[in-house]
Amino acid sequence: MTFSRRIVWVFWRNLVSYKRFVLTTFLASLIQPLFYLITFGIGMGAYVGYFGGKPYLYFLVPGVLTTSVMMSATFECLYGTFVKIVHEKLYDSLIATPVSAEDAVAGDIAWGAFRGLVSGGLMMVVAIFMGILPVSLLSVLLLVLLMVFVGVLFGSLAMIVTAFAPNFDFFNYYSELVITPMLFFSGVFFPLDKFPGWMKALAQFMPLTHAVAIARAIFNGDYGRGLIFNFLVILALEIAAFLAGVRLMKRRLIK
Amino acid sequence: MSVIIRADSLRKKYGDFVAVDGISFAIEEGECFGFLGPNGAGKTTTVRMIHCVSPKSGGTLTVLGSEAHVDNRAVKQRTGVIPQEITLDNDLTVRENLQVHAHFFAIPGAEARRRILELLRFVELEKRRDSKISDLSTGMKRRLLIARALLNQPRLIIADEPTTGLDPQARHLIWQRLRQLKGQGATLVLTTQYMEEAQQLCDRIVIMHQGRILKAGAPSRLIEEEIGREVAEVRAAPERDAALLPRLAPLARGHERVGDTLYFYCDDGRPLLKAMLELDLPDTVHRPASLEDVFLKLTGRSLIE
Ligand SMILES: Nc1ncnc2c1ncn2[C@@H]1O[C@H](COP(=O)(O)OP(=O)(O)OP(=O)(O)O)[C@@H](O)[C@H]1O
Ligand SMILES: [Mg+2]
Repeated sequence: MTFSRRIVWVFWRNLVSYKRFVLTTFLASLIQPLFYLITFGIGMGAYVGYFGGKPYLYFLVPGVLTTSVMMSATFECLYGTFVKIVHEKLYDSLIATPVSAEDAVAGDIAWGAFRGLVSGGLMMVVAIFMGILPVSLLSVLLLVLLMVFVGVLFGSLAMIVTAFAPNFDFFNYYSELVITPMLFFSGVFFPLDKFPGWMKALAQFMPLTHAVAIARAIFNGDYGRGLIFNFLVILALEIAAFLAGVRLMKRRLIK
Repeated sequence: MSVIIRADSLRKKYGDFVAVDGISFAIEEGECFGFLGPNGAGKTTTVRMIHCVSPKSGGTLTVLGSEAHVDNRAVKQRTGVIPQEITLDNDLTVRENLQVHAHFFAIPGAEARRRILELLRFVELEKRRDSKISDLSTGMKRRLLIARALLNQPRLIIADEPTTGLDPQARHLIWQRLRQLKGQGATLVLTTQYMEEAQQLCDRIVIMHQGRILKAGAPSRLIEEEIGREVAEVRAAPERDAALLPRLAPLARGHERVGDTLYFYCDDGRPLLKAMLELDLPDTVHRPASLEDVFLKLTGRSLIE
């Protein structure tokens, strides 16, 4: 594998094109999480009331925020990248320059993570306007780092899928079979402790579970020992997914 | 003159399919070298191996002094590629396309701005610098591809069918620009299906067919060797061969029948024409030999697919 600083310029290319879409993507990436916040937060919140001594929204917001990072990074590296390879032939012109296939893919994963950060960041702003604040300024900073970290994870996982995708329909399998279940079984909307044992075990295999646990701890300044484990799981998966994503995409790009 | 690209028994397989089947050639610095061949001959596959975006399956290939392989950034840094397909960035404007590309080659900002202005002028697109790509005509897009390929001031320029789909004006403009670049000392590797293009631009060509090189040489020499100076075409049904050929064939260097036409190749057509007049053939054409005749003679006059 050969990486170079040209990754930055691949990222920059995306940024230049982004300025034409920025407003529409703001809307698109806000709608779904807002929908969750309103239905679950206000609707359910009225019944659930307090959660570990704090209003339900303090439980929900970090979960939804992490989810929106996952969604944006995933979709950017599925659809966005697929269009660039197949429809726009952008990768063909990239790899004819000193940019290597590895640089190009890494640059797009970084871009996916950035899109995730933007979505998550917007969510945080909305939450702050609703009066749901992270516990400290340090929390905000750590959340930003976490969002980038989680974005790279889900961007890399999506790249693996894109490396095999013959067409857009292929992505439905991934979003229906992987992303949607994660949304509901990773403790985003309610805690996992009331689930039966096998479900709890299953949840441990979902990266979103660990990401949400960390986000929630940081948001509420409520750190426990289990977090180290959550972090190590994500880190290991992230490194593996990144290397696999880059390698598989290279196989697709270089013929 | 020094050799800038050398291939020896170069092969390329896609799975079980052999796209390039053991070709050898040497391209010299400063020349324009053409790969001429019908669809699927393996031209694009060959040049993609040269500019290091596609790995070879066998043989050796040396480009600009080093072995060609997909991680060879040094070759890519000094090569300009005009691809067969239009691979412009539709999300960016004309100028942004060039700016982004300049960064990939690590060209410093001020220098990049200077070259972009100069190149937009070179390809006559300076008025379109803020246009969206979708607003450009095909000819403009092809010219922008040329400008993009020249940003890094390449020693080696690879043009893969640079004028496909263009009208005569646009085609001539591109030919002029390519000749200008060659005049400035660049080495040009061109693929084309247009005989006229090969004749206009190339010092030497190879004729490729089904992954192999059939013939190599200067265009004019190939015509001389394979065809001669003149071609006479006689439109006549195959049943008449028995009557016509004994009279006409001995007066030509060679002949060929394709469908309803007999082709006679010769250096001096006068005796042949006289015989044709005596036979009083109604439907004949007499013309100078061209590269197209060589091409069709070698690759067959019927459709190959
Ligand atoms: N990625 C690929 N996978 C499988 N086969 C391929 C691939 N690329 C090209 N081929 C096949 O290899 C052969 C040579 O293709 P190539 O594109 O090099 O031809 P060409 O001479 O450039 O033709 P054209 O004039 O149509 O551009 C063709 O039969 C083509 O179908
Ligand atoms: Mg081709």
